[in-house]
Amino acid sequence: MGAAVDHVTPMGMSGGSAEGNDKSEGQRFSCKSKLTALVVDNGGVCRAIQTALLRSYGVETEAVETGEAAVELIASGATFSLIIIEMLLPFMNGPGTAKQIRAMGAQSKILGITAFFDRRDRQEFLAAGADDFIEKPLSPEIVIPIIRELDN
Amino acid sequence: MDRNHLKRQVDFMKRSFLDQGYLDEQFIQLEELQDDDNPNFVEEIVTLFFNDSARLLQNIEQALVSGPIDFPSLDNYMHQFKGSSSSIGAKRVKNECTRFKEYCTAGNAEGCLRTFVQVKQEHAILKTKLETYFQLAKQAGPSGTSGGQIR
Repeated sequence: MGAAVDHVTPMGMSGGSAEGNDKSEGQRFSCKSKLTALVVDNGGVCRAIQTALLRSYGVETEAVETGEAAVELIASGATFSLIIIEMLLPFMNGPGTAKQIRAMGAQSKILGITAFFDRRDRQEFLAAGADDFIEKPLSPEIVIPIIRELDN
Repeated sequence: MDRNHLKRQVDFMKRSFLDQGYLDEQFIQLEELQDDDNPNFVEEIVTLFFNDSARLLQNIEQALVSGPIDFPSLDNYMHQFKGSSSSIGAKRVKNECTRFKEYCTAGNAEGCLRTFVQVKQEHAILKTKLETYFQLAKQAGPSGTSGGQIR
């Protein structure tokens, strides 16, 4: 049930650590340390956008389509600073995936993400080991503080 | 036509999409991700969206017309469709998805059918508008759709 890892064309990453997204001065916010991320989403559009956004901040990002593929990847030894997991995945759902990842001892920051925010889904995800739960879209307002936190 | 004039037209078109609520800030964020290494990122993502969403809309249509309505399946399809719609900044489409979800959660078949007509309509309108937008952007040349110019 594992899916191939997506290798979305990497975005060009401008240097500098200027805040926000303002490119008018040719600078874009970028992480200071080597950070890695895994996007787990069965939707191609969301996978591509989330991956591109994270990479634009200098985060080395991979993407998979299923919870099973994410678990396989981590079981094979891959480690990630941040894992973003969609709530509704085809087989093992988002919380189930988070639970398995935590059971393997992963210390990653786990962000649950969904199309329609639901309090019960939030509770389920947090109980499974996620650190936070948001409604799509993944935006710079969400990502930049997370990267800063991971950088420190 | 003068390239600067074309670029102004592109910017004006985008501003009108934002003002009229067809798109929201998320679309601007996508344009922020576009650069020299990936000059067609937004158009590629939007093309992927319309290809994927055509399939999802077909699945939803099928689920609505065949036999007793399978609301959990409908919910699943709409979940994915709304997720990608909101991720490209398709504001009106996203809003119709939210209305559909409410009827779906309530098990209201008539409400789902009615709202789905609106979902398809907004989807089709946006597709036409963005096709025109990208055509114009191509004529305007490189950086025809670069972000940071319009808020």
